[in-house]
Amino acid sequence: MQTTELLNNYLVDPNTWDEMYSLSSVRHQYEGVVGVLQQMSVEELNKKEELAKRLFMSQGITFTVYSSGEGIEKIFPFDIIPRIITAGEWNYIETGITQRLKALNLFLKDVYNNQFILKDGIVPCDIVYSCPHFLREMHGFPVPYDIYVHIAGIDLIRDADGTFYILEDNLRTPSGVSYMLENREITKRLFPDLIPKNKVRTVTEYPAILHRNLSSLSPRQTSQPTIVLLTPGIYNSAYFEHTTLARLMGVELVEGRDLVVDNHRVYMKTTGGLQQVDVIYRRVDDYFLDPLVFQPDSLLGVAGIMSAYRKGNVAIVNAVGNGVADDKAIYAFVPAMIRYYLNEEPILKNVPTYQLGNPDERDYVFSNMNRMVIKKTNESGGYGMLMGHSATDEEIHRYQQEIVKDPRQFIAQPIISLSSAPCYMNGRLKPRRVDLRPYALCGPEGIRIVPGGLTRVALREGSLVVNSSQGGGSKDTWVLAN
Amino acid sequence: MLSRVADSLYWMSRYMERTDGILRMLRINYASSQDDLQNFSWKPVLSIFTYLDPGGAAAIAHRSRAVLQYMVTDRENSNSVLNIVTHARENARSVQDHITKELWQCLNDFYHTIRDEQIVRGLYADDPVSILDVLIRQGVLYYGITDITMARGEGYAFLNIGKFIERGVQSADILAVRFSDTQFDSSLTDPSYWKYLLLSISGFEYYLKTYRSGFDARNVVEQIVLSANFPRSILYSVSRLQLHFQRLKGDGNREAFQRIEFMIGKIHSKVQYSTVYSILNQGLHSFLISIKEDLSEVGNALNQYYFAYT
Repeated sequence: MQTTELLNNYLVDPNTWDEMYSLSSVRHQYEGVVGVLQQMSVEELNKKEELAKRLFMSQGITFTVYSSGEGIEKIFPFDIIPRIITAGEWNYIETGITQRLKALNLFLKDVYNNQFILKDGIVPCDIVYSCPHFLREMHGFPVPYDIYVHIAGIDLIRDADGTFYILEDNLRTPSGVSYMLENREITKRLFPDLIPKNKVRTVTEYPAILHRNLSSLSPRQTSQPTIVLLTPGIYNSAYFEHTTLARLMGVELVEGRDLVVDNHRVYMKTTGGLQQVDVIYRRVDDYFLDPLVFQPDSLLGVAGIMSAYRKGNVAIVNAVGNGVADDKAIYAFVPAMIRYYLNEEPILKNVPTYQLGNPDERDYVFSNMNRMVIKKTNESGGYGMLMGHSATDEEIHRYQQEIVKDPRQFIAQPIISLSSAPCYMNGRLKPRRVDLRPYALCGPEGIRIVPGGLTRVALREGSLVVNSSQGGGSKDTWVLAN
Repeated sequence: MLSRVADSLYWMSRYMERTDGILRMLRINYASSQDDLQNFSWKPVLSIFTYLDPGGAAAIAHRSRAVLQYMVTDRENSNSVLNIVTHARENARSVQDHITKELWQCLNDFYHTIRDEQIVRGLYADDPVSILDVLIRQGVLYYGITDITMARGEGYAFLNIGKFIERGVQSADILAVRFSDTQFDSSLTDPSYWKYLLLSISGFEYYLKTYRSGFDARNVVEQIVLSANFPRSILYSVSRLQLHFQRLKGDGNREAFQRIEFMIGKIHSKVQYSTVYSILNQGLHSFLISIKEDLSEVGNALNQYYFAYT
């Protein structure tokens, strides 16, 4: 089969913004890629897919599913066709996320100190205090430069008219950046010369920027502060990312058992004795971080680390307690935060969100259930979600009962028709829904966002759920230079 | 470096050395089993490299395919090549930031190879020597990549310490098992016995060049224990161990260093200043056991002073 047929048979879903096709023609940013695809046969494209799979396997870019003592290597599915964003679109996204992150940091500082935003009634007290991730231990807690979110993954989607919306903030331990980096490396192998020809901006500076930011947070003023990346260990599904980041930044990868706190300072156990640690980039959740303060039976953390943190003897990235700002119920108030702290109109809009604790909003949602997505406020990975348009009556009824029992645990949003992008599947080009997660890095010198990020794809036909645990995959994301 | 990392590197290296030893043993012994007039017994190999009790060993000692199956791919055998390579690979995985990417990929490839269905089938249905060769070659790749790409730092020192401790113990084991089977009379066993023993540790050609006059058990003992040039001899292993341990000097932890340096020095002297005569006088078996115990103590001391992180 010739590939011109591939493109001719590409059928976009109705009422959907397609990243590549606009009504009748290919968007100009995709012309380069389409030109190359048209010159390749299906056999060649299949070979490229095979090459990608082999490269992922042999380089160990896998996550391991452990069952009955055996580790089964799985590849996070990768689609070879890149997703392309124009320079203009990116500028818009970049300014919007920068603004949003600034406001979120200010919110965290406020909510853990003077709480002006609560006292002025902009954000309801009860929503904050009933959030399970609002940690009273962080009240009045000093953090370096008042930065709480050093690394953020902000999820964006595109509606049928092409407008970008913020779907979700991830401010605790956002993951996937290693896939952003590896997808780019794989694409360079699959399509030689294509990236320079299309003037795609580089993503490889991410580790360097992050390393610089981490260094600047060190409490000890030395030229080579000791930075470590704290991982839960090899059984964690994101372990590959932890090793990649540690390797690219040249920092030590440690587990909880490698660290010890003595006299409110954190040390690593080395063959040469104890060595003091200055900055910890931790990929362990808040609850498991310190068994003396949070979960007492946690084996992943370090006893006493919070006391070292409070004394300012060690910096922790991201700060503890950020979960109150990425709670899905609080999400609805972020535009209000931008107005309150920055006196600006939000550049990037939220998806309309209904607070189910509010009776009027709840009634509206209940009478429009098949146009709504119901989400649990404190779950992730696509769990605890109901897609109203494809759920059975029984499921809908069950969710309604749960909502009535504990409305704070749920929010509702109208189902957005996510944008679609071409995917190469079984010798054909098919449109599949995508989202975008750019990674923003916040340091004492400002906020920098690496151009691109991770594009996640809902590989199952008709699905709007892109999470990896629900059968999602990823694409390389290109931001063009002009 | 982190104690946990040093521990992982040390064991990764020991596992890989063990894998190499097992595969070579299997390859040669399989060839020998095809050559034997009497019923070839795998008992010695099983007792060196597995934890099977005498009953379990006797059950498969005369069935080559069953032994291959048990020692290469059986998941229940904690010392099967499959399990050992898996351990080595998992160790490498948890210290990826301390080994080169090439080394990690090599172990990852080895891991996937030995889990390949075709390998498993080939071992039991086709010519097992071809399969064993494939696996041995993967191991050789590991040695090459380590030598060429690893920076000569603390990590490299621990890799070699593990390798040479394992090698010393293995050579002692191989000698001890062979010689406990026969009364110590050099004329008793037929020449093919020595030939296969030496072949299994790649020492046959060296023997021919050094001791031209036929097979004498005393010469075999001299080669495997005392030769400074034979790379699998106990003396060679302990010398290299001493050399690589020196690299850890000055990394802090002075007391520990001196203690272990002393222990290694003692073993080295014990071997270097022995002769075949003195060893046979003491009793070959008891000499070899004492070497094994000494090396095991060095391992314990390393654990206590360098690796303890719990």
